[in-house]
Amino acid sequence: MTNPSLLPEGLRDRLPPEAEALGRVRGAVLWVAELNGYARVEPPLAEFETTLLGRLKSSRPTDLWRVIDPISQRTLALRPDITAQVGRIAATRMAHRPRPLRLCYAGQVLKVRGTMLRPEREMCQAGCEIVGTDSVAAVVEAIRVALDALAAAGATGLSIDLTLPDLVPLLAAGPMPLPADTIDTVIHELDGKDAGALADLGASAYLPLIEAAGPVTAATAKLAALDTGGLLTSRLDGVRAIAAAIDGRATVTLDPAERHGFEYQSWIGFSIFAAGVRGEIGRGGSYAILHPDGTEEPAVGFSLFLDPIVDAGVAGFARDRVFVPLGTDPTVAAGLREQGLATIAALSDADDAVALGCTHRWANDALVPIV
Amino acid sequence: MPQPIILAVPKGRILDEVQPLLTRAGIRPEAAFFDDSSRALQFKTDRADIELIRVRAFDVATFVAHGAAQLGIVGSDVLMEFDYSELYAPVDLGIGHCRISVAEPRDMAARDDPREWSHVRVATKYPHITRQHFEARGVQAECVKLNGAMEIAPVLGLADRIVDLVSSGKTLKENGLVEVEIIAQVSARLIVNRAAFKTRAETLGPLVAAFRTAADGVRDAA
Repeated sequence: MTNPSLLPEGLRDRLPPEAEALGRVRGAVLWVAELNGYARVEPPLAEFETTLLGRLKSSRPTDLWRVIDPISQRTLALRPDITAQVGRIAATRMAHRPRPLRLCYAGQVLKVRGTMLRPEREMCQAGCEIVGTDSVAAVVEAIRVALDALAAAGATGLSIDLTLPDLVPLLAAGPMPLPADTIDTVIHELDGKDAGALADLGASAYLPLIEAAGPVTAATAKLAALDTGGLLTSRLDGVRAIAAAIDGRATVTLDPAERHGFEYQSWIGFSIFAAGVRGEIGRGGSYAILHPDGTEEPAVGFSLFLDPIVDAGVAGFARDRVFVPLGTDPTVAAGLREQGLATIAALSDADDAVALGCTHRWANDALVPIV
Repeated sequence: MPQPIILAVPKGRILDEVQPLLTRAGIRPEAAFFDDSSRALQFKTDRADIELIRVRAFDVATFVAHGAAQLGIVGSDVLMEFDYSELYAPVDLGIGHCRISVAEPRDMAARDDPREWSHVRVATKYPHITRQHFEARGVQAECVKLNGAMEIAPVLGLADRIVDLVSSGKTLKENGLVEVEIIAQVSARLIVNRAAFKTRAETLGPLVAAFRTAADGVRDAA
């Protein structure tokens, strides 16, 4: 028999105080989003495989956690990402709403498999999407709201890494031609910054993209020097404008070869890192939503991964817990809660303040610290 | 002062080739680092902001992928085996050249036609590379994972074939094996943790550039 405490691989129980920290972080992010005019949506945990896959213009198939719906006998998929669902809502039920349409969300997602760095298969994702434009102004707003939300969640030492996800196809179609069947391999090796493998592929022309990665000012200069045909001018101008707009709030780097997790982004993508948190804590960029009539609509957004922020302990918050003995006037406890203190009411004489983790005791009409 | 950058270097023969590279990159480890009898695992350098650790080749990739070390030197065989998404390999260091190959007993090779294989049983330290290689060829590979001494597996009947690193071919020959297929050429790479590359770009960028120049220098000198 399975041990009753065993959970499937990559799934876990969150206990206090981590569960509370996750709730607070999620609340802080949504609060900031709503103050910036993003309206909340709550898509379902599962939907038809076809509706989940079809909405974002993407170059690669996605691994999905599929189940057969016992009612319709159709294949359902558990969401690995909420952005695609928000895209579906924007393209269907909210297609008639005025643009730019600002939406925000937070919820659990399920991956088929975790990564080495993040073995968890279930994660909490929160984010914002601006539908109807992918202009520089919209990207700047998305990044600013992401930084505000992360600051509210307690993350510090923020760092933004910009990337140009469609760079390789763009260059391959122009000044740096590649055989069509090697483009995907070149993208993969550039993503891993594998200089040796690129040279072996005969794609040495792309090596400067690896060398250009770094602090944004130097990186844009290197990329501009490479761009003899002026093909990248608008993109580089965009990158400079974005970097200038967030200067001082986060360290900004540019990595023109990064494709990692930017499967559906178009001209710009970004990853967010925070001091003391292993791996990235957020990601975003521009992309295209496919409407049922086949037209495409530009959009910009970001997603934050809240679990690593909680795991890193940067969202720490301790609320005082006051033990209220049996027979205490109920208005006393209500008054304490109004001050933001948690009250732990004794339900019997056997209840023990220390064992219940209380920081204070209500005694003789006063708060007495428990030492 | 910020945390020092940790560079993970594999134990073993490759250390001799690593030394001139480190010198050219402007990093001088303390003497104990090159002393095989030293049991220390962590070493200082003449730069206060860089420390070295000496671990097994496969572990170099693991330490760097998890961000426990920010930089590492590792063979491309290890990168192929793990395909860690959190690693960058921005510099081919041009040292530690060898290849990863399929080998089998000499008498078997004499009557064997690789084109006719449908299933092979292979002893290897590289089950992922092996499976992927044979899958691409339309052959199902059953892997027996070993951590060393692959060469004796065919003799003792553990598996017919092996997939392993080959440099001179001497070890294969001594065990009555011949190389029948080359899967890939291997060389050592400088690897960088992805998150550290972004968040500590100011320090890691110049270091990566120094290794790139050092590797070019060693290549030109050869």
